[in-house]
Amino acid sequence: MGRLNITEKNTKALVTFQNVSKSFGATKALIDCNVDFKKGEIHSLVGENGAGKSTLGKIILGAYKLDSGKTYVDGEEVSINSPGQAVKIGLVGISQELSLLSSRTVVDNIAMGREITSGMFVSSKKTKEKVLSVMKHFNLFVNPDAIVGSLSVAEQQKVEILRALNSNARLIVFDEPTARLASNETEQLHSLVKSLADNGTTIVYISHFLDEVLTISNRVTLLRNGKLIRTNLAKDETKKSLIEGMTGKEEGNLFPSIKLIDESSETVLKVENLTRKNEYQDISFEIKKGEIVGLAGLVGSGRSELAHTIFGDKKPDNGAISFCGKKITQSKVSNSINLGMAMVPESRRTQGLFLARSLIENISLPYLGKFLSIYGLDKKQERNTVNEICNKTTVKHSGIDFEVQYLSGGNQQKILFARAAMGKPKLLIADEPTRGVDIGAKKSIYELIAKLSDVGESVLLVSSEIEEIIGMSNRVLVMSRGRLSAQLIGTDINKKTIMEAAFKYN
Amino acid sequence: MQLLELSKKYGIAVITISLFLILSLTTEGFFTERNIRNLLDQQSTILIAASFMTIVIISGNFDISISAIFVVAPLFALNIENATGNILLSVIGGVSLGVILGSFNALVVTYFKVNSFIATLATSFMFFGFGYLISDRSLMRPVTDSYQQIARTKFLDITSATWIAIIVVILASILLTRTRFGRNVFATGGNQEAARLAGINVPQVQAITFILLGAAAALAGIVNSSRSISAQPSDDFSFVFAVLTAVIVGGTSIMGGKGAIWRTVAAAFFLAFMNNGFNLLQVDPLWQRIILGLVIVIAVALDSWSQRKNV
Repeated sequence: MGRLNITEKNTKALVTFQNVSKSFGATKALIDCNVDFKKGEIHSLVGENGAGKSTLGKIILGAYKLDSGKTYVDGEEVSINSPGQAVKIGLVGISQELSLLSSRTVVDNIAMGREITSGMFVSSKKTKEKVLSVMKHFNLFVNPDAIVGSLSVAEQQKVEILRALNSNARLIVFDEPTARLASNETEQLHSLVKSLADNGTTIVYISHFLDEVLTISNRVTLLRNGKLIRTNLAKDETKKSLIEGMTGKEEGNLFPSIKLIDESSETVLKVENLTRKNEYQDISFEIKKGEIVGLAGLVGSGRSELAHTIFGDKKPDNGAISFCGKKITQSKVSNSINLGMAMVPESRRTQGLFLARSLIENISLPYLGKFLSIYGLDKKQERNTVNEICNKTTVKHSGIDFEVQYLSGGNQQKILFARAAMGKPKLLIADEPTRGVDIGAKKSIYELIAKLSDVGESVLLVSSEIEEIIGMSNRVLVMSRGRLSAQLIGTDINKKTIMEAAFKYN
Repeated sequence: MQLLELSKKYGIAVITISLFLILSLTTEGFFTERNIRNLLDQQSTILIAASFMTIVIISGNFDISISAIFVVAPLFALNIENATGNILLSVIGGVSLGVILGSFNALVVTYFKVNSFIATLATSFMFFGFGYLISDRSLMRPVTDSYQQIARTKFLDITSATWIAIIVVILASILLTRTRFGRNVFATGGNQEAARLAGINVPQVQAITFILLGAAAALAGIVNSSRSISAQPSDDFSFVFAVLTAVIVGGTSIMGGKGAIWRTVAAAFFLAFMNNGFNLLQVDPLWQRIILGLVIVIAVALDSWSQRKNV
C-alpha cells in the first residue's frame, strides 16, 4: 500500500470547534478541544478506545449535545442539537454497524426520508431517477433494485455512502468503516473516500488501523483520555509517533515471544477433507499440542464457518474432525466443550456476552457442571474459582457481581478469555480476539494467548489483521474462496505470502 | 448508576411495603387477620402461574395460552373426578393435561419457530375449544365433597390454596436462582446466540419453561375451581393479563434476560393491596382501572428507560 499523493489542503474550515467539552456522568469524554475540519480534506481521528474520538464524531453529527464550547459552520456560530439538524446542515455519518432497511431495495434505502413526491404520493420513477443521477455524479454504482439484505457488507456500505451523498452531505463521518471489510474492499473504499474529498466533501475518518490512517489522511488529530493531544499533517506522522502519542509512552514490542513447537509433539486436532457446501471445501490440517496456528484469509473466505464447524456449531457435509486422537461423530457445542474445546467468538456483543448479567454468570456459564451439589449450585466455590480466573486473565473489574456492560471493550473481551480458561481447554478457537480493543488491551490479550501455548494449550487464531497473524503464529493457514490456499511456517510467514495466498482463488 | 440499579432491584419491595404500611395505618379494615388471609388466598392462583410466567419471560418468550389452560385443565380434572371420584387422580390428570398443552406450545415455538406471542395466541383458541368439547359446553361440578378441600383445607389457619402457592413460588425461585437450568434460562433470554455458543441447548431450555408453565397454569385452574366448587368453559383471557401485569410491574424485562420471581410476588401483592385499598375506601372501580393502567405504563416505561441508559 503506497501512500496516495496527498498534501495539505489550503481551503477554509467547514466545521470548527472551540473549547468543546462533554461529560457522561463522572466520565469526561472530551475536555476543552479545539479542532477544525477543512473543506475537502480527509481528517482522521485516532486514539485508544475511550480516548474520545467517537464522541467527537457523534458531536459533529448532533447525536450528543455539548456541555460547553462553540461550534462554527462556514464561520458562523451554530448549535447542533439533533441529528436531524446536522443532516440539514450537511453533516452525515456512516456508522460501524450499518443502519439500513435490509428487506428494502437499494433505491428505497438511498432515498429514505427524501423521496420525491408528486402531490401526496411518492413518485417511484422520479425518486429512482434522482438516485441514479447521484450514482452517476459520484461514479459510484450499486444495483438500484437489489434487496439490501442480499448485498455484501462492502456494497451495503456503498448504499450508506450514497444515502449520505443523496442528502447533499458536505461532511461525512466514517466510524471504523473498514472494520468489517476484506482488504481488497478496504482499498476500494479508500479510493472512493479520496475521490469524495477531491469533489469537495469533508471526510472525518475514525479508525483503529494506523496504516490506513496514514495512507489516506491529509491531517490526523490524536486524542488521549478525552484530551486533544495534537493535530498534525499525516505526512509528518509515523505509525510509531501515533502509537506513542495514543498511549502516552514509548512503544514496546506489541507481540510476546512465541514458543517454538517440537515437530514430534502430539497432534491435538486433525481435520481431514472437511467440506461444507457453499462455505468451504476439502480442508485438511493438523494442530499440535501448544501450537498457535493462525487462520488468515479475506472476510467471506470461509474462515469463521470452518472455526464454527470445528467447534461443533455447524455440521460438516463431508470429512472428519479428530480431537486428541478421537473422531468427533456428533456436531454439538456442548460435546466439544466437554471434550476440551473453547471458543472466543467473533463478535463479543452478539455472540459472546450476556451484557445485562454479572461477570460471574458470564464466566462460569458453560462450566456450571463443576459446581453442582445436592443443594443446587455451590455459589461459594463458583465465586472463588471465578475470582481466581479473573486474576489470571487480568480482567480489570470492580467486583464480579457487576454487569459486564459497564466494562470497557478490552475487558469485555478478556471476560471471554476468562470463560474459556475456566474449562482449561486443550484447544482454544479465537475468532478475531482483538477486534475493537485498544492497544493496551491488545497487548495483554496477546500475552494471554502466548501463556496458553506455554502451558501446552493449542490455539487456532482466526484473524483479519495480518500483523497479528504474523506476530502470534507458529504456523499460518490461509483460506481463499473456501479453500486452503497455503500453509506457511517460519520465514515463509510474511505479508506478501499471506496476501498472495488470500487472493489465490479470487 | 448505583442508585438506579438499587431502585431497579428493590424499588418494588419498598413500594409494596410502603403501601402496606400506609393502608394499615389509614384504612380501617385493611390490617385485620381476615382481610390479610383473604388477600393471600385470592392471590394464590395468580402467584402459582406468575412464578413460572416470570421464567418464560426471562427466557425471552411469552405465553398467552395460560388463560385457556387455566380454563380447560379443571374441566378435565372434574371429568376424571366425576368418573372415578378420586381426587388425587383428578389433580394428576388435570396437571398432566397442562404438561401436554405446554408441550404443544413448546413444539410450535421451538420446533416450528413461530413467535411465541402469536403461537400461544393461536393455541389459546384451540385450548378454549377443548374446554367446550370436554364439558359439553356446560358448567361442571364435582360429585365428591372432598374436591373443594383441595383449596379450602386449613393448615395453621391458612388455606391450602395459599400453601400451594407458597410452595410453588419457592420451588420456582430455587429453580431459577440456584440451578444450572436457571442460569441457562437467563442466558437464553439475554443472548440466544451466545448461549448456543456456550453449549446451551436453547430450544430445550425454552421447551422446559413452557411445559412447567403449562403445569403451573393447570394447577392454578384446579385450585380456582376447587375454591368455587365448579368449572365452566369460556373464552376468558383475563387470567393471563392479571398474571402478566404482576410479572411486568415486578420489573421483569419483556426483552428477556432479566427478572426475578420474588419481585413478581411483590408486584402481585402491590396490585392486590392497591385493589383492596380502593375497595375498602370505596373508590369508584372506574378510577381503579385507570390507575392500574397507569401503573403498568410507568413500570414498562421505567424498564425501557433503564435499557436505554445502558447503551
